Amino acid sequence: MIRKLLVAYDGSERARKAFNVGIEIAARFSAEVFIISVARPPEPADDVETEAILENANHYYEKHFAELEEAAASVGIAPHFEVLVGHPAEQIVHYANEKEVDMIVMGHRGKSFVERWLLGSVSKRVLSYAHCTVTIER
Amino acid sequence: MTHTWALATLWLGLALVATLLSIWLRIATALSEIVVGTVAQLIIGALIGSAVLGTDDSWIKFLSGTGAILLTFLAGAELDPAVFKIKWKQATGIGLAGFIAPFLGCTAVAYFALHWGIRASWLAGVALSTTSVAVVYAVMLEFGLNKTDFGKMVLAACFINDLGTVLALGLIFSPFTLKTLIFGIVSVVVFGVLPWLTPRFFKQYGGRPSELEAKYLLLSLFGMGALATWAGSEAVLPAYIIGMVLAGTVGRDHALVRRLRTLTFGLLTPFYFIRAGSFVSVPALLAAPMVFIVLLLAKMATKFVSVYPVTQWFGSAKGDGTYVTLLMSTGLTFGSISALFGLTHGIIDRSQYSYLVATVIASAVVPTLIANAFYLPRHMLHGSHEDVVADKT
Repeated sequence: MIRKLLVAYDGSERARKAFNVGIEIAARFSAEVFIISVARPPEPADDVETEAILENANHYYEKHFAELEEAAASVGIAPHFEVLVGHPAEQIVHYANEKEVDMIVMGHRGKSFVERWLLGSVSKRVLSYAHCTVTIER
Repeated sequence: MTHTWALATLWLGLALVATLLSIWLRIATALSEIVVGTVAQLIIGALIGSAVLGTDDSWIKFLSGTGAILLTFLAGAELDPAVFKIKWKQATGIGLAGFIAPFLGCTAVAYFALHWGIRASWLAGVALSTTSVAVVYAVMLEFGLNKTDFGKMVLAACFINDLGTVLALGLIFSPFTLKTLIFGIVSVVVFGVLPWLTPRFFKQYGGRPSELEAKYLLLSLFGMGALATWAGSEAVLPAYIIGMVLAGTVGRDHALVRRLRTLTFGLLTPFYFIRAGSFVSVPALLAAPMVFIVLLLAKMATKFVSVYPVTQWFGSAKGDGTYVTLLMSTGLTFGSISALFGLTHGIIDRSQYSYLVATVIASAVVPTLIANAFYLPRHMLHGSHEDVVADKT
């Protein structure tokens, strides 16, 4: 039984697919849906630029959320939206814990070696540390 | 003008490369620009000649200097004056502790351990005394602490810490003369009048396509910058304080701040950071890496000794990696501004400048790399977010 479902959304095509899968599952179980995006400050965070990046991320995801809200409403779902700040894997795992969700749905993004080294694989880390079922959309 | 346009093309080309690197590697643009400046100087200097970049051309100095002034102004304008009014005692206490210990400690290490001259040692103390407001802000957001009284107070303390750095930079190296006195008196009047005059002036004449607000702010910044330089001080000193006193008015006008950021990041700061990077001597760093390591350890140890007990007193969980990150991080903006001031005023030589910039970068980057290398979800290590937040409120 899935009562609460979390979709981690980063604006990519895979994330959109994950959203579609998440909404389908949520509709089947009449689950409450949480959709989160994570804004990542630059490393190291620097004066003025950090605030600019976070503002930009909020603006970017607000536009996406409006579209997702419409798509979810068409199947009778009213998701909760939130933009978090920090390491994506940590924020996803923590949010899932906090809201006691039963399933996390997210997309898998192919990253370059450098990106993986700096950031690690988000999906791998969520799989390792999440307390619940994790579905990775490829 | 052909030479000027060609040089501008080269610099903007480097700026574009730096921005692409910052996007690909997800690193701060300032860091990327410093590194690109260093590498460009190394390669172009070896192949064609070190004068090709034209780092001492007056127009490049002007754009670079304006970048530093506007960046410092925008950094000051991010202060939350409402929080500062309520928590000014605690913020000032922690901010001064965070400034004084590294300032004196790093000065002593540079003087006694590295045998630098007294002025160069003071400059090292100033450059390594900052705490990055941005790093603190980012970590606070990550933990949700930015909404707690504790988080707001620590953020306000970081502004005090940086104010200490800017004041030390602007006053220690300038001889106290009649000019200093005039600069001080005019500053007090201007800093008092601006918060009253600016919102009224903008309300009356602002909001038009002619960008009156930007011209007014640039006039204030250039005017006070000129006065500061005339008095033997540094133009970023009044810029940071003008930012702070206008934080409650200009700082809240998001549209205006966004337009100023476009001007600053789009044209000015690339000249500042690439120029700052171009003065770094890689051979000097390779010749004596221990100097850099000693300065880095001094910075981290003195920050830890000064601020960690204060955070413990406020109830932080023992061993909380968050604070270690916060304490060690140096702001690239104020660290590099201080070092470049020292180099251009003949207080430090190019080798000493290289060690200071490398230390500033390392103290900002190393904690992050360590945190990522030994990654574990932090809330699992230290209890839930709520526990952490509750600890600090």
